[in-house]
Amino acid sequence: MSSFGFRGWVMPLLLLVCGGLVLYPLAFLIIESLNIGDPQSFPPEELGLANYLELFEEPRVITNTLLVASIATVLAVLFGFIQAWILTRTIIPGRDRLERLMELPYYMTPLIGALAWGVLLGPKTGLINQVWQSTGWTSDFFNIYTPWGIAWVMALFEGTVAFVMISASMKSMDPSLEESSRVLGAGKLRTALKITLPLVAPGVLSATIFVFSEMLGSFAAAFVLGIPGRFFVVTTAIWEATLSFPPDYGRAAAMGLSLFGAMVLTLGCARLIMRHGSYTTITGKAFRPRAMEVGAMRFPLMTIAWGYIIVAVILPLGALLLTSMERFATVIIPQMQFTLANYETALRMGSLAPAFANSLILGVSVATLGVPTIGVLAWIIYRSRVPGRGLMEFVIMIPAAVPRLVFGLGLLWAWINIPIPIYGTLWLLGIAYFTVFLPLGLRTIAGVVLQVDPSLEECARVCGASWGYQMRTVTLPLLRPGLVAAWLLIFIASVRELGVSIFLMGPNSKVIAPAIVNSWLSSSSELSAAMALMQTAMVFVAVAILFRVARRVTGAPA
Amino acid sequence: MSTPPRIDVRDLVVRYGETAAVDGVSFAIAPGELVTLLGPSGCGKTTTLRSIAGLETPSDGSIKISGRTVYSRRERWNVPSEKRGVSMVFQSYAIWPHMTVFENVAYGLRVRKVPAAEIADNVARVLDMVQMRGFADRPSSKLSGGQQQRVAVARAIAFSPNVLLFDEPLSNLDAKLRAEMRVELRELQRRLDITSLYVTHDQEEALAISDRVIVMNGGKIEQIGSPEAIYNRPVSRFVADFVGSANMIAGQVRGPGPDGTLLFETEGGIKIEVIAPANGDTSGTVVALRSSYIHIGHVSGSHNAVNGTIHRRMFHGDFIQYVVDWPAGQLIVRRPPTELFEEGSSVTVSFAPLHCVLL
Repeated sequence: MSSFGFRGWVMPLLLLVCGGLVLYPLAFLIIESLNIGDPQSFPPEELGLANYLELFEEPRVITNTLLVASIATVLAVLFGFIQAWILTRTIIPGRDRLERLMELPYYMTPLIGALAWGVLLGPKTGLINQVWQSTGWTSDFFNIYTPWGIAWVMALFEGTVAFVMISASMKSMDPSLEESSRVLGAGKLRTALKITLPLVAPGVLSATIFVFSEMLGSFAAAFVLGIPGRFFVVTTAIWEATLSFPPDYGRAAAMGLSLFGAMVLTLGCARLIMRHGSYTTITGKAFRPRAMEVGAMRFPLMTIAWGYIIVAVILPLGALLLTSMERFATVIIPQMQFTLANYETALRMGSLAPAFANSLILGVSVATLGVPTIGVLAWIIYRSRVPGRGLMEFVIMIPAAVPRLVFGLGLLWAWINIPIPIYGTLWLLGIAYFTVFLPLGLRTIAGVVLQVDPSLEECARVCGASWGYQMRTVTLPLLRPGLVAAWLLIFIASVRELGVSIFLMGPNSKVIAPAIVNSWLSSSSELSAAMALMQTAMVFVAVAILFRVARRVTGAPA
Repeated sequence: MSTPPRIDVRDLVVRYGETAAVDGVSFAIAPGELVTLLGPSGCGKTTTLRSIAGLETPSDGSIKISGRTVYSRRERWNVPSEKRGVSMVFQSYAIWPHMTVFENVAYGLRVRKVPAAEIADNVARVLDMVQMRGFADRPSSKLSGGQQQRVAVARAIAFSPNVLLFDEPLSNLDAKLRAEMRVELRELQRRLDITSLYVTHDQEEALAISDRVIVMNGGKIEQIGSPEAIYNRPVSRFVADFVGSANMIAGQVRGPGPDGTLLFETEGGIKIEVIAPANGDTSGTVVALRSSYIHIGHVSGSHNAVNGTIHRRMFHGDFIQYVVDWPAGQLIVRRPPTELFEEGSSVTVSFAPLHCVLL
């Protein structure tokens, strides 16, 4: 068979490379977490569980993490549920546009959110606090540098995630289930309590657990808003441990793996609950559930729906924009001094300008090299009948389950100990990005691969096309939208990357997100705001292209 | 057969793990013949077709197309799809949405590096044949189901393949269009005189368009024969049941009857005359009787006449279906809509021994 040769060597090679990239850092992490000898030596001189036991001697970090995660989860699910209910079950003006805008908070990232809310609600200097004090109050309206503040910022971000999951469960409900209850004589309220609520409950529950699990591994907001007040959660404690002298990699690794374990456990629970709790009547079929006429209530409801978008996107971006254009951040009009100097500094300053260039180079090259590689992987996993493809999918999806920061730690330790001199260079960052974005790329491309009916390819073969000709004329053109989307998503993710970069960035290989954080912690909020906005602009341009591509694909009549 | 068969399948086995989807299937198709693989879903008919197309790798047996071995387990020989010179119409039509109608139809010709002018002529000719002239420049994503079907057929015949394979090509069309396309496909196949293998689960379709029908069940062939033979002389309960509407009358052969028939005593104790099986085996315990071959009222020449009562009448339009209570249980009887009987009325049902097939 003609194509056997190609598949014969490409398959094992790809499996080896990708498996190695994913598993090698994890193996290092596990070994290091058991190292109780000199933390700097590798391989470890002594093995033991001391690093894990130490975690419980200082329960503060654990209780802090649980506190922040719980508050943020409750808030996020509340936001998500309200938005989902308004946008899927009631008729309000501009519903479709609002639904599309609901994606925006997700592209804001917790880092940008944390910076913006720092600008808005920092003690004394925060813009809202300034206004508050100018009206006669002596204390702050709210101090964002608290557990509540971290939870607030995370909740605004995760609210979108909860919205997507809950509205999916509301949409996938067959309206006839409610209609039959009404026909059988139950009133609106009885139907809502006895039929609607139980059917939506599994979706809400799984959203709760998923958000909680994400919260456990979240880093940026806790980092920006927690470090100044020396309030540590697990992720920031991991980062702190690697900075102590000597760096306590063993403890950091143990914390990281425990966190990974806790997240896998919660997600496992969620899956179990979903399997037992979900009702088979809820199918994958998309229904447009019957939306309620809400009469005069439609304006208050619309205000609530817009309120979330305003608080999660418009207010933070507005605050950053205002701050970035001022000499000193203020809302007291007579004191305002407008300037573009912050943008100039961001682009000129010796240590910052390269960070932008590096991030762009990394984004473009990781996406450009990643998409064809992942495309071939997706084709092998979802189209061929090669044995072991299930295992391959599993290995490639692993980075999705490991918190970014923990994976970054593993990568750091793994590549320090390899005799290839790429530590502190862009090469290492490139390899790291490729590894952690494997799941993102695979999921995106798999989405289109699975949509392409195999008979479209088979038909080309029967018509006499060789494997290569079929790939060129049928498969690749059909996959193109998915490949473009994957390219853009990987680019966006690269430009925003923080958790891995913060460990692997060297003095000559700075990238944007960590540079913004450093600038925030060490210098002015005005400069940081300018940098954050420039990063957001890069992301939003890519998002705009992405939406356009997506619209062209879904907009075409089938 | 004097001319060698166009398709020759021997002892074909296709296994998925432990289960055999196709379990020892052999048949041959003569040039110009249209043969149907008929059976319920999961009977192995599509797998057999896909094995011939080279889209499925069999586990055992051999396949020859035009005398050339394209698959042989013993010789470890497997010709890839694109080198088999077959063509196929897919159940989903598999019309490439990113190409125009012209590009879809021209694909097989372009692969074969046919000069552009010749391609244009050929595409125009086949589009004409399927009555899609004037659609050449349409984006194929803007076609209706029936139009996609026609384009799929045009594409399949454009490069003059030796063999045409149809994988349930009409199953996604609505009933009326399906009946029309059935006629057109048969016309086209006759006109081009192209050897065709056609897979369907629709027994009516199979009977209507085929030269011969192969009934499959559980990965094996139940019966091969002309549509009339399959309908009138089913060799097994499965075939009698799957093809057409038949009454299964339980009982036992009691001895020879008049004119070379056999005397069959049903469970209700009635004796009917049934035709003697060609193989002389009289151990069968079931008689299959087509519901269309039963008369209501006494018809001369029918040796079997029994009294019964009309239990239920259902008007279907093209025919009326009666459920008749008779001593051996209930009979399903189909009569033309002109033969109207009231429910509850006493009637005589009669049928010829020729139509009583002992199984």
